[in-house]
Amino acid sequence: MGTGTYAFVRKIWRIAAAIETGVVLLMLVVILSALGTIVLQRPATRPDEMERSYSPFVLRILDLTRLTDVYHSWWFLGLLLLVSICIVAASLDRLPSRWRYLARPYKYPEEGFRRTLHPQRTVELAPEAGVSEQTAMAAAERALTARGYRPQRVAQAGQTGLFAERNRLSQLAVYVVHLSLLLIFLGTMVDGLLGWRGILTLHPGETASAVRLGDGAWRDLGFMLRSEGAGQEHYPDGTLKQVWTNVTLIEDGRAAGQSRILINAPLVYRHVRIYQSHAGANGEELEVAHQPGLWIVWIGVVVMGIGLLFVFYLVHVRMWVVPVRCAKTGKLSLWMGGSVNRHRDGFEPRFNELARSIEEELKCTTATAPDKGVSTPEIRQAE
Amino acid sequence: MGPMKEDTTAPVKTGPRRPEGGTTLIVLVGLAIALLLSTALLNELRSGALLSETTLLYATLLFYVGAAALYLGFGVRGTEGYLRWASISTWLGLAANTAVVARHWYQAGHPPLTNLYETLLSFVWAVAVLTVVAERRYGVRVIGMITMPLAIAGVVLMEQLRTEVHPLSPLLQSNWLQVHVTLAILAYAACAVSFALAIMFLIQDRVETRTFLAIASAGTLAIYASIVVASVEKWGGLAGTGWAEIAIGHGLRLKAPLALLSWSMMAALAVVATPAVCCALGYRNWSERLVAVANRSLLAGILLQGLSLAVLLRLTGPSAAAGSGWLPTALGSSPFVLTGLVSSLLIAVFFLVLAWRRTELERLLPAAELLDRVTYRTICLAFPLLTLTIATGAYWANQAWGSYWSWDPKETWAVITWLVYALYLHMRITVGWRGRRAAYFAIAGFAVVIFTFFGVSYLLRGMHAFL
Repeated sequence: MGTGTYAFVRKIWRIAAAIETGVVLLMLVVILSALGTIVLQRPATRPDEMERSYSPFVLRILDLTRLTDVYHSWWFLGLLLLVSICIVAASLDRLPSRWRYLARPYKYPEEGFRRTLHPQRTVELAPEAGVSEQTAMAAAERALTARGYRPQRVAQAGQTGLFAERNRLSQLAVYVVHLSLLLIFLGTMVDGLLGWRGILTLHPGETASAVRLGDGAWRDLGFMLRSEGAGQEHYPDGTLKQVWTNVTLIEDGRAAGQSRILINAPLVYRHVRIYQSHAGANGEELEVAHQPGLWIVWIGVVVMGIGLLFVFYLVHVRMWVVPVRCAKTGKLSLWMGGSVNRHRDGFEPRFNELARSIEEELKCTTATAPDKGVSTPEIRQAE
Repeated sequence: MGPMKEDTTAPVKTGPRRPEGGTTLIVLVGLAIALLLSTALLNELRSGALLSETTLLYATLLFYVGAAALYLGFGVRGTEGYLRWASISTWLGLAANTAVVARHWYQAGHPPLTNLYETLLSFVWAVAVLTVVAERRYGVRVIGMITMPLAIAGVVLMEQLRTEVHPLSPLLQSNWLQVHVTLAILAYAACAVSFALAIMFLIQDRVETRTFLAIASAGTLAIYASIVVASVEKWGGLAGTGWAEIAIGHGLRLKAPLALLSWSMMAALAVVATPAVCCALGYRNWSERLVAVANRSLLAGILLQGLSLAVLLRLTGPSAAAGSGWLPTALGSSPFVLTGLVSSLLIAVFFLVLAWRRTELERLLPAAELLDRVTYRTICLAFPLLTLTIATGAYWANQAWGSYWSWDPKETWAVITWLVYALYLHMRITVGWRGRRAAYFAIAGFAVVIFTFFGVSYLLRGMHAFL
């Protein structure tokens, strides 16, 4: 029974971590969200309008399937949960290999690797003319350093080579983006579970602290607001320009501050945000919101911004330079190769420029084609 | 630019045969355009103002239409001189467009970002800018062939939405608004360019002309379908704006345009759908007869669409005029209907350019692989912009009405757009999709952008309704 369960769990994990699952789930989110914009949604639409728009039979079905409140239905939220689980599974699944890749960089290019790498260049050296291994390596080191790399000498099996890389962290960029998504989900969940919204009615001169929530319940703010007057401003043509309420905050019986609440300029105090409602006439109605998960969401957004910046603009570049002696002819040459994990088309010209400058410095014959005539690049896993 | 390509597959075979000199159809289309524009000119001269925003907008339209006509001329004649003049016309249009933006900004006191008219103005301007950038910096000289019709459709729609400059309501007085809308426009313009590039890739990738016919037909069908669907009010949450109603029994109410257009539009719809149907039928076995039917229905479709357009303009003409703009239409007719008809006409006409001048186009366009990569790069630019659009929108919403996410249709569709492009990136980076599949995905993504931009305001309701 142990192996049976283990195999089953493994199978579920494989499915959860697969990209196809992610694609299917995302498409489901798309379709269901779209449905929610087409079918009239319950809290926002008045009941009489619902009844006007749908026949009773259709309306019953829509209500039963919760299509009239898609975004708060258990299956939609469950779907979002599944998406989160898949993101976690897919990330964790690839993490070990990614970590290995990060923690143990491939510093010395073996022959097989050298054969198929693109882009690459081989320059013949002429030791008799004074261009020895050491000269060539030194020239390469200088060229790399001049372009902002920090080449390190690598020794393997008696051979020495150069290795330089930049932005290794770029490999983690995708994880940052996915993490940010999870943060945003977490924030909205916290808000959904622990947050609340309501209306505070405040007549000029009065004091109030009780907020009437959407479901009819009451909530006390923990402090009091006294209205010092409200106002409106209109444009010359009569349209509304601004609505405001002047309030004094009273805590423990003492005035704790004054503020003017305008549309687009809420008052943020303690654990609540207080808004000037557009619906309220003469600034008598204030909307109050408690959003405990808000800061989590904003952190998630910022992290996503950073992550996207990393994904699109931070490229992991690796360069190798090794002297190679051909087994057949005994000729000495300098092999140079580079690799990026993204935007290969932009990298190639830069690599070629670097290789050319090294070549010119060594004043040798021009590049020979790589072994085995690999002329067009295979589509590799990197973009 | 791509190397000289040997045209061994003769793709023109599956498009309509190029007429002798192409004169008849071109003359008809040219006359129609001239008629439309001279109506506008007469209206303008009557009103007297010379450098008003309306005149400048009209000049913009004139130059964009001129550019599109020159691209069409290239389609008929094939000489590169047309392309040069088309580019000049685009530049002139951009200059006029900039003048409109500047004038509107000056008059309104805020950048043009606060309602659908202003947003469209900025969007069309951005598309024109990206067109000349693509032409100049990246040498993609025929991108205007796809972006100019887009710009034209945008200006046509704009002209009917012309309202007086209103002072900003309290809700819209926010710097975050300007940041949010600017980002949205830049993102949508980038998506539009990626769409144009994807189409050009498909041309270079030797996709058969009949597939383009199917896509064009499907696109036109979608436009007509949305007009028809939005005309029937009883379908739950779908609603048009400001239309007269006609009861046709059983609680169903039709909006005026459909009744007005009636038989002409139904005929056009049927004919327009035919190529798509032919493609579906001939999927496995594309017989000569199906090809002939598809070709003929395309040409007939152009004529019928032109007829529908004429009927619409005639029936909603000056006698029932209300509202400003150079083409006064009755309140009973939605601006989106007119724009939809114009767009489908443009799609059909420009398909003809593809059918007639496929070889020359393939010579002038860059290599397929380059187009594929640039499409990807453009989406790499669009995606962060989309992300920032949603983020700034959420932040502003939180400042304005205390909720950063209310599943408002516009918000929801913005996220859907984001998800579709995220899927594109995933398919490309992780699964390794390239070439054709990626191009189709990019085109589908832009269709979603169009729905988010217009479909939501036109077909759905919500808090974003002021846009």
